[in-house]
Parts: sequence; structure tokens; C-alpha cells
Amino acid sequence: MKNTSSAPAKIAKALYLLLIVFFLYLPIGALMVLSFNSSKSMASWQGFSLKWYKEMFANEELMEALGNTLTIALWASIIATVIGVMACVAMNAMTDRKRSIFMGLNNIPLLNADIVTGISIMMSFLLFGISLNYGTVLFAHITFCIPYVILSVMPKFRQLENHTYEAALDLGASPLYAFFKVVLPDIMPGIVSGFLLSFTMSVDDFVITHFTRGAGINTLSTLIYSQLKIGVRPTMFALSTVIFVIVLLVLVVSNFFRKDEEEEAKKASAKGKEYVYKGGMSTKKTMAIILAVVVAMAVAVRFTPSTPGEVSEKGVVYVYNFGDYIDPELVDAFYEETGYTVVCDYFDTNEEMYPVIKNNTADYDVICASDYMIDKMIKEDLLMELEFSQIPNIQYLSQNIRDFMEDFDPGMFYSAPHTWGTYGIIFNRELVDEEDFEGDVSWGILWDEKYAGKIIMPNSIREADMVTAKLLGYSMNTLDENEMKEITAKLIEQKPLVYSYANDNARDLMIGDNASLAVITSGDVLYAQEDNENLDYVVPVEGTEVWTDCWAVPKSCKNYDGAMAWINFMYSYDAAVANFEYLTYAIPNTQLEDYVYEDYIEGETILSEIEILNPSEEVLERCETLKNLGPEGDDMYSRYWKEFKSK
Amino acid sequence: MAKEKTLIEMIDISKSYDGEIVLDEFNLNIKENEFITLLGPSGCGKTTTLRILGGFTMPDTGRVLFQGEDITHMPANKRPLNTVFQKYALFPHMNIADNIAFGLKISGKSQEYINDKIKYALKLVNLSGYENRAVTSLSGGQQQRIAIARAIVNEPRVLLLDEPLGALDLKLRQEMQYELRRLKDELGITFLYVTHDQEEALTMSDKVVVMNQGYIQQMGTPEQIYNEPENAFVADFIGDSNIIDAIMVEDYVVKINGYKFPCVDAGFGKNKPVDVVIRPEDIIIGKPGKGVIDGVVTSNVFIGVHYEMCIEAGGIEWLCQNTRSFAVGSEVSINVDPENIQIMNKPQSEDEEAISLEDVLGEEKDQ
Ligand SMILES: Nc1ncnc2c1ncn2[C@@H]1O[C@H](COP(=O)(O)OP(=O)(O)O)[C@@H](O)[C@H]1O
Ligand SMILES: [Mg+2]
Repeated sequence: MKNTSSAPAKIAKALYLLLIVFFLYLPIGALMVLSFNSSKSMASWQGFSLKWYKEMFANEELMEALGNTLTIALWASIIATVIGVMACVAMNAMTDRKRSIFMGLNNIPLLNADIVTGISIMMSFLLFGISLNYGTVLFAHITFCIPYVILSVMPKFRQLENHTYEAALDLGASPLYAFFKVVLPDIMPGIVSGFLLSFTMSVDDFVITHFTRGAGINTLSTLIYSQLKIGVRPTMFALSTVIFVIVLLVLVVSNFFRKDEEEEAKKASAKGKEYVYKGGMSTKKTMAIILAVVVAMAVAVRFTPSTPGEVSEKGVVYVYNFGDYIDPELVDAFYEETGYTVVCDYFDTNEEMYPVIKNNTADYDVICASDYMIDKMIKEDLLMELEFSQIPNIQYLSQNIRDFMEDFDPGMFYSAPHTWGTYGIIFNRELVDEEDFEGDVSWGILWDEKYAGKIIMPNSIREADMVTAKLLGYSMNTLDENEMKEITAKLIEQKPLVYSYANDNARDLMIGDNASLAVITSGDVLYAQEDNENLDYVVPVEGTEVWTDCWAVPKSCKNYDGAMAWINFMYSYDAAVANFEYLTYAIPNTQLEDYVYEDYIEGETILSEIEILNPSEEVLERCETLKNLGPEGDDMYSRYWKEFKSK
Repeated sequence: MAKEKTLIEMIDISKSYDGEIVLDEFNLNIKENEFITLLGPSGCGKTTTLRILGGFTMPDTGRVLFQGEDITHMPANKRPLNTVFQKYALFPHMNIADNIAFGLKISGKSQEYINDKIKYALKLVNLSGYENRAVTSLSGGQQQRIAIARAIVNEPRVLLLDEPLGALDLKLRQEMQYELRRLKDELGITFLYVTHDQEEALTMSDKVVVMNQGYIQQMGTPEQIYNEPENAFVADFIGDSNIIDAIMVEDYVVKINGYKFPCVDAGFGKNKPVDVVIRPEDIIIGKPGKGVIDGVVTSNVFIGVHYEMCIEAGGIEWLCQNTRSFAVGSEVSINVDPENIQIMNKPQSEDEEAISLEDVLGEEKDQ
């Protein structure tokens, strides 16, 4: 009987353990392994390397974000703990009825969606005319941490029913003395767990930080998120590994101390000796260790060589850019050359940047935005005209890009391109028929049965529709419902052939030989070739989308001269080279035409001869830029996209 | 005893919680060096009385005087009294010595003085050598004694004890009762003791205050309370009693269910309905025909020293205690000595059973 009942229990236990290991620890393990991968790819292992760790410690932005994360978490949890404990003291003195009302009020923010909390805190700052900065983030963190402190401290107060506080008063203690001497040690475990909970909540938080942070304030979570556009660099894996290991160490050490103490107690009682009770010692020690580690890290991060001249005479230029979209060293170079200090801030998508500028929640001097967004912002009067007399280097802007700019900034008054590129097909020479790629290639190859299960299509409306529209000979900005129907039918027809609909990880899937063909933007190709030399790229003959990401100056600009200097600097030879080497995206700068690039496949190549970055005139003729469709157009596109998705 | 000085006066103290009256115009005098006990059922306001004295609860109205000085609004930590709480309230994160030294350290005594005091107090409560022990390593009785030691080292004028033995088992409780009494005599300070256990109250106290629903029912020596309960509540609460409806036919004669008993009380008037209290041990059981009423034994339980029996006689169930056993079903007679019959006025109505006499008068005046 006993055996039959325990066998399933054993299996269940083993299964449970397996699931835990599988779902909780496997991903972390994978991340740790990848942090030592010498390749950028998440899909293939190319040898052991510590370079991401080196890059991590050398990356000032990352270190600063880490510093912000730790200092905000530390201060927020300390202040929230103090306030929370005081609130508990007050609530403890209330009648049961009142207390339950207050506890209810306390619990609502805990259940509230972060996004609501974040937006409402941001709105109140704006309402009171407080501009967002480090302090507002800290304030917001304190706000959302307090309920957690109360939640973990209050039960401890309720357990104090044996009147130790009154006993202390009775023995002559003043209320304050009684509180610190008698009540505090008893509720200490609650305070410690409240503090730790706050700390983790603060470190973890993305949403609320995102809404309340000002220009140039990044925590790890917002920084990592902003880097999603061009893919998370393995430095993040390195950082995550370091954090995980530290947390693990803290846990192990604190457990070790606790065990020590238990053993001491056991020994003492075994020998019949008197055991001196040291209540709360282990929690105190844990607390001390954690605090020490955090403070040490915060200090270490703060004292790594930081940006030169924190206060420069000429002031600060606030740059709002896609994450990881310039060579980070250019910030220092710009300071050396012009004397402006630059504070960079990041977003992941245009749609994320737009409300920040529209609502003026933070004051930026220069922003980077894509073509269609520039168009929208010009129409909504959110941008200032550029004073090109202050940007002499604009003379180096390539002519073909000037032509495309007519679509979104006619006459080029408001923007100056930073990068540009095309969409095309990346293919693996080993996995496709060579002859299919000799001569002109059509988008139609993505519908070729031969490559069934080997094709990656974009997982976004406009890109997938663009590919299909071009194949069918329509405009990628079509508003014709009949054309849209045809496009959708074509996409549905392709479905069985598609291996995956992917955006960011298409590149990694290709590097890992998981598919033969994928739609990708030209900028990612050189990056991918670094890790897989069989990859090549072609822009189909029907034409494609040309995209341009531009610098622009929002109306909120406070340092116009600095903004002009920044844009001008970006067009200098050194900056253009640095950005190209860092991003491998096409930089529309004529000075780069003769630059010799260390191609991974061909060896040394002159940049203007790299076809990937320089589509032929004839292909460019058939290219278009992405346009705003207006609300009705957007509606139609998403309606048909839904239909396609649901099939 | 009546000559001794009054130490504490509680004057017209009233207290209510959420509109519910807990104490109503409560008056109590505590004399120097007295062992006085508040006795009453749970919820009658004993703890509230003690908390008002200790300074943990403010009365709604009324005053507390200490040696004639008004201390009603004096904070708890300034009062020259110490409390021993119902659940000990020792500080769990301090060892025994630190617990005891707590009050002394606050009053800034020297280390030697404190050490001596700790030794002395531990000896007093029979726990010498326990200085470094953890609170949690002690039994309930030991913790209680530490709580007392912690209070008395401060040499309070009055020690307030709120059901200090409530959580202990019977044997330990009896031991501790004895110890407490010894302590009181040794220290020579005033004890204000709270309990709901009548036996405890009667064995330990110089004076017992019986309370119910915020009113004092009766105040007196244990003998007075036991032998001459002033009303049915006190009689019932103080011990198992036969409380019987009766009629005071005339002075010195009371009629119970038609049977006349001689008694020692007078002044109730003629044919007045009264309550009669007769203690179970005061009923004399004899052969049929030898007593006032004949009856039959309906139950018999041995409860240690004596037998507790029920006797059906004259239409009444009599609770009796005797060292001799009478078998169930045997025919017996009962009788009571006149001095063991306690006559009490009937309360005006059910509601007023709990209301003290002064109050009844007060209300009548109001109408
Ligand atoms: N803080 C309080 N809030 C509300 N009611 C209370 C409070 N303290 C005591 N009471 C009420 O007052 C009455 C008397 O309580 P208490 O003095 O503790 O009685 P005792 O000690 O005699 O058992 C009880 O009905 C109790 O519910
Ligand atoms: Mg009580």
C-alpha cells in the first residue's frame, strides 16, 4: 500500500524537479554559456572568449546604467523602508476597521498594472511642471516600493500582540527608545524582507522607470530594452551572468552563515551548555552582506573613469537615439572636439520616441527618427528647422539619399540622414541553388516550393506587405483595397512554405543555418557575415523599401548650437568611419566611398564597391520609402494583416 | 488594615469602546501594602482598569490619584508602577539578564548595582544562574517569574499583575500562587492582582473586588466575599451554590418551597421574596425524617476530598458536598444550620442583576 502510493509521488517529484530545472535554470544556463561565445550570434557557438566581459566593463553607458540601477534601487528601498515602517506604526495604532481600510488602500497599487502606475506618476509630474530626471525616477520607485514594505512589515506588527512595546514603556522607556530597542528587533525580519523585496522590484522595474525617467537617465532595464532595435549585444549576457552570480553568491553566503549559527546552537545544546540566543543575527548578517555588496558595486561603478568634464562650459547636448545606434566612443570624441558634453538616451522604436517628444516629457536637443516619423513630426510641427550654415559637413551627404528625402522632408529643411539601407533577401549560398541567384533575383523566390520550410518572412505588417506588393508590381504604400486583397491572398498562399515569421532574430536564425532565405535589412548583412561567411544578400529586381534614419531637432531643444554641432560632427570623416565600423550600416557620407573595409569574405574592399550597401541606380529607381497611411489606411492594413494572421 | 494610608484612588472612572460601556463611574481605593484582587468573568473590564492605572489607556472621564496627586494624564513610562502582563511580554531578542536590566539601564543605574539587582531578583524568583539563558528556552512558569523579576527590580510602589498565572497548568499555578504571596510579603509593596479564578483570588488576597460588566459587585476580605455574598452574582461566581427563590416570612424565618427554615437574618419585612444562598458543604444530610425535608439522592460523584451529590427534595435539586457517601436512590433528609443560610434581596429585574446598588438609587433619582 505504502509502496504503490509513494511511487507516483516519487515520479511526480522527479518530474517537478526536472520542470524546474528545465524552465527556470536552462535559460539562465544558456545565457551564461552565450556570454562566453566569441561570436555575436545567439544561434551558434564559435569558441570561448572573454571579450564581452571586457566590452561590458569598458562600456561607460552600461556601467552608468548599472550604477543608476543600483543607486536608485538602494535609495528607493532604504527610503521606502523607512516610510513604510512609519506607516505601519501609524496603522498599527488604528482601530481594526480603519486599519483594514488602509491596508486595502495599500494593496490596490500592488495589484495595479505597472503601466497605469507609470503613466499616472508621469502625468502628475507633468501636471506640477516637474521635468523628468533622476529624482523623478527615484520618487516613482519609492512610491511603488512602499506598499511592498508595508505588506511585509505589517504582519510582523500584528504578531507583536504580546505587548512588548507597552512592557518597555512600563519599565520607563520613552516611546522612541522602546520602539528602537524592543519593537524594531522583533519586526526586523519583516523589514529585511520588505527591503529586499523593494530592492528587487526596483532593479526589475522597466515600465515605471520608462515613463518617469528624464533625458539621459537609464537603468539597466531601459538600456537593454532600447538596444532591441539592432539586437541585444552579448555584453548584456555577460552583465546578466555577473548579476546572477552575485545574487547566487549572496544567497550561498547568507545560507552559510545561517547554518553556522544553527550548528552552534545545536552544539551548545548537545554539550548541555547554555546557548545564548542571538535572535535576528542571521537576518542582520544577510542584510549586512547584501548591503555591502550593493554599496561596493555602486561605488565601483561610480568610480570607473566616467565621461570627461561632467560639467562642461558649453553645456550639455541631450541626444535621444535608437539604442546602440552610434559608436559610444564618439561621445568623448565630440567633447574633445567641441567642448559639449553629450548625454545619450535611448528608445527602441519610433513609436516609443514619438509620445515623449509630442508630450514634451523630457527635453532633448537632438533626436534620431525614421523617415516616415520625420514626415509625421514635420506635419505636426514638432521639429525645428536646421541651420545648415552651422552644419558645413552636410556637403558630404550622398546625392541619392537627398533624392529619397523628397518623400518625407521635401527641400530638406528639418532632417539630416544618419544611416540608410534597403530591404532585401539574405541567403545561404550553401543551402540554395547558385543559379537561382545569378543575375536578377525576384521576390518571387520566397514563394518557390523548392525552399519550402526554409524561408523566413518579416513578422510586421508593412515589411511583409512591402515584399508582396513589390512582387505584384504595386506600391508599398498602396491604399487600393483590391490590391490589398491580392497582397493578402499572396501572403496566405506563401504560409505553408515559411519556416518562421521573425523580425530581430531572422539574422541569428540565418547565422545558425536554420533557414536558407530571409528578408532582412542591408545593415544586418555585414554583421551576419562576420559569423557565417556563407551568407550573401541581394536586392530583388522589383525594387524594395529604402529607409533612412535621420537626425532632427525637436521644438523642446534647449541647446540649438550644440545640436547643430552634434549633427555636423556626425558627418565628419572620423565619426562616419567609427559609426560604420560599429554598426556596419550604410552611412550616407561621400567621404566614406574610398574607405577600405576589412570584409570578412572578400578581404579588403573599398566601401563603395560593397554591393550590399550600394544598390545599383536601376534598382534604386524602383525603390520607395515608407509613408504614413493615415488612420484609414492603417486600419485597412491591420484588418488585412489580421485576416492573414488568422488563416 | 483600615488605618493604612490610601495609595491609589480611582475616582468616577468611565471608559467605553465604540459606544459600548466597559467601565461606568468606577471607584476604587487601593491602600499601601495591600494585596488586592480584581475578580470577575472574562470581559468585565479588569484589564481595562489595570491599563488605565498603568497609563496605557486613557479613561473617558474620571481621575486617577497617586498619593493624592493626579496622574490621569501622566505617560506610562513616568508612572511609579510596574505591570506584569498576561502573556509575560518578555523581550525575545534579549537574554534573561538584559530583560531584567531593561528598566534599570533606563534609569541610569551603575553596572554593579544592576548586576546585584539581577542576582537578587533571580534569587527571589528561584531562578538563580539563568542570567544568560534565552527567553525561548524557558518554560511558561519560568518566563512568568522572569517577568515578575523584571518588574520588581525597579522597586515600584505598586505592582499590577494581569492574570499572570492564566497560562499555567494547575500544579504550577498553585506553586506560583504561593510564591507570589511570599514575594509580596518579602518586598512589602502593594499588589493589584487580576484574575477570573475565584479560588486564586480567595487564597491570595487581602481584599477581593468582585466585578461584573464594569461595576463593582462587592468588595471585602475573602471571608466576607465567600460567606456573605451580597447578591446572587457574587454568590454564583464565588463557588457552586444553591441559589433558591424563597420568601422571608418574618424576621429569622425563611420559607423555601413551603418548608420553613430558621435563619439569622432580620429586617427584610414580612412575606418578602428573597434569594437564599446555601453552600453545598453546609447542607447536613441525615436519615429520612431527621431533617427539614426528605428526599432522594439522584447522583453521586467523588471529586477528591469529598463526594458531590444531588438530592431531590421538596421539588428542588440540592447540590450537596459531604465526606460521607450516600448511594444513588437512597432516601435521606436535609437540614441547614441557621447561620449558613445567606439571605439576599432580589434584584428588581433581570437586567439590573448586574447593577450596583448606588446606581439603582441614582437612576431612581433621575426619573
Ligand atoms: N482596545 C479595545 N477596543 C475595543 N474594545 C475593547 C478594547 N479593550 C477592551 N475592550 C472591550 O472591553 C471589554 C472589557 O475588556 P477587558 O478589560 O479586557 O476585560 P477583562 O480583562 O476583564 O477580561 C470587553 O468587552 C472588550 O471587548
Ligand atoms: Mg483581561
